[in-house]
Amino acid sequence: MDNKKVLVAMSGGVDSSVTLLKIIEAGYNPIGITMKLWEYKNVGGNNLQDNNCCAVESINNAKLVCDRLGVPHYTIDFTGDFKENVIDNFVDEYISGRTPNPCVRCNSYVKWDTFIKQADKLNAKYIATGHYAIIKKNEDDYKIYRAKDKIKDQSYVLWGVPQNTLSRTILPLGDLTKSEVRQIARDNNLETAETPESMEICFVADNNYKRFIKEYDKERTSKIKNGKTLDEAGNVLAENPGYINYTIGQRKGIGISNEKPLYVKEIDAKNNEITVSEKKSLFSSKCYISNLNWLIKNYQYPMDINCQIRYNGSIAPATLSIKNDKVHVEFETPQLAITPGQSIVFYDNKEALLGGGIIELN
Amino acid sequence: MNSVDKKTYFDVAATTPLDPEVANLMHDINLSFFGNPSSIHQFGQKAHNILEKSRKKISSILNCHESEIIFTSGGTESNNIVLKSILKKGDHLITSSYEHPAILKVAKNLESKGVFVTYIDPTIEGKINSEDIKKAIQQNTKLISIMYANNEIGSINPIKEIANICNDNNILFHSDAVQCIGKIPIDLSNQKIDFISIAAHKFYGPKSIGILYISRKNNIDPLFIGGGQEKGIRPGTENISLIAGMSLALEIATNNMEENISHISRMEKTLEEELNKNNINYKINGKNRLPGLLNISFHNIEGQTLLMNLDMAGIAISYGSACSSGSSKPSDVLIKIGIDEKIAQNSVRISIGKFIKKDDILNLVDNIKMVIPEPNKKVENIG
Repeated sequence: MDNKKVLVAMSGGVDSSVTLLKIIEAGYNPIGITMKLWEYKNVGGNNLQDNNCCAVESINNAKLVCDRLGVPHYTIDFTGDFKENVIDNFVDEYISGRTPNPCVRCNSYVKWDTFIKQADKLNAKYIATGHYAIIKKNEDDYKIYRAKDKIKDQSYVLWGVPQNTLSRTILPLGDLTKSEVRQIARDNNLETAETPESMEICFVADNNYKRFIKEYDKERTSKIKNGKTLDEAGNVLAENPGYINYTIGQRKGIGISNEKPLYVKEIDAKNNEITVSEKKSLFSSKCYISNLNWLIKNYQYPMDINCQIRYNGSIAPATLSIKNDKVHVEFETPQLAITPGQSIVFYDNKEALLGGGIIELN
Repeated sequence: MNSVDKKTYFDVAATTPLDPEVANLMHDINLSFFGNPSSIHQFGQKAHNILEKSRKKISSILNCHESEIIFTSGGTESNNIVLKSILKKGDHLITSSYEHPAILKVAKNLESKGVFVTYIDPTIEGKINSEDIKKAIQQNTKLISIMYANNEIGSINPIKEIANICNDNNILFHSDAVQCIGKIPIDLSNQKIDFISIAAHKFYGPKSIGILYISRKNNIDPLFIGGGQEKGIRPGTENISLIAGMSLALEIATNNMEENISHISRMEKTLEEELNKNNINYKINGKNRLPGLLNISFHNIEGQTLLMNLDMAGIAISYGSACSSGSSKPSDVLIKIGIDEKIAQNSVRISIGKFIKKDDILNLVDNIKMVIPEPNKKVENIG
């Protein structure tokens, strides 16, 4: 394998463009690859409006940057992998009343796995992406750390990345802030220097994921009729347009007047019911974990560990223990809106990512 | 970095380089004859004469009447004019399932507007059986559109036979001949074809210019409405430098056709010999092909990977069906002729132009050998 060859994932945004620049500066021979993951027009997008990665304009931008830097560029179609591993699951989860994190699955199953395989095919030792996180080697092990830019830090969505690919991964932006990255792009006249920040869910063109789910799976969503809104005691307060329109912690759209604002506390997809409560009732201290993935070799239960239960959330110390073959979490202090389907991610005191899993309740 | 001094182009089926002689002529016309051919003054007259001289030259080469030549923007437009003008709600179209998207997608679009369409599948040799067409004819069959040769495997269809069937049944016949004109001899005087689509950039002419041949017995509605240019079938001010460039390119291609065919066939033979000599296993898909258009399956390497590796070595080939973003999927055409999807994924198109020399072929084979993991393994039998 060629130790100098690096496949750089080029979304057509400013981050991946600067990643490419950094890889060149480090003396590698890069190949720019745009992974085409999704066709917006399939589900409610407008080809003339789309301005996200995977849209033609973004791919064109990736090509322009590669051309400016003298790097070959290819677009590879991964729409099949992406649909199967990310979108189908995203829709299934919402229909089950849960709140999925598609970025985690994309990184775990598509971005790393598929991309490393592509690197093998092109005889390249390394892959590089514009994720804001740091990979460091300690003794024999490679570990992911939080990025220097704490607001942009993306380590939370990397807990499922196959551990054995870390030694072949370069993340050049981990030590830079977003504004430094933009400045580098401007200084180098990169076409992408002023591209807007990417959206929350890259494949939902208008950011309206509820519309997306309804259009994507008309058959199942059309069966979800009006549901009931309950209070904590189980009394019916009102009718609602169906649980699919709610996520845990949601305040808007509940449509019931109350002295203090009401939030969605629980979603019961089976009975098409949501339970609402005041904010103070949304705090709880317990959950358990599925799909647990440790990025370290040594761990034992019970274990005191720092957890993060949402993207950009703060650290919550907790104790992990085994009960009935399940790994249970007990937080030191009650947490707001622990949401099934979201990721729970572990860090040590030096901000190294130790592993993660999916939050489950009940 | 990654810069390649020598670049070799094996993708003339996608487009050909512009003949320098054609480029010079176009340059001169652009600078000297800017007049609108419809204008009455001398500027217009000069331009008009270039336009009509080009039309005469083209019609004499194709052996048809000059009034049968309509200038369009290329193959896509010519195809669209024919299908959309001829077919109305309730009419029946027979076409093949491996046409270029400029036919297939138009047919799909027409289906949504009440036109009935039968798609004939090609045989494993890559051709459309005229018997299959005969069987598909219905009372309301208005048009049959079958490509002269397929753009991905190069297989040539029995156009004369199909034209005769159409004629016998009083059905209009269109053929997308974009891959063939300028490459193999086509004489329109002895064929009963009603419409033919032609694009200049496949025979070393400029892009964005083409021809719709309409045999004189037919009348056709325009897609665009405007001035009276091209008898109102294709209004819009004519681009005479493109038209004259196309005319010269067709003349050059026709004058050198025999020589080109024999050179390209020799290069094709060299390619096969060299692959054999190097014990690289391969299979050429389709039979009775256009000279120099080869769709080849290799063992254990995806076409896309082969393409990228060759490209980085400065050699251009083609894989699958490209889309606007530059990503590609395995060729639908190969699937339609009955090739397994896995083998379709491992197949590339290599198309040889008149400028290719033996050294280029040797360089290509050297690089293929370097990239393929196990060149000597047999490609699964697909027959």
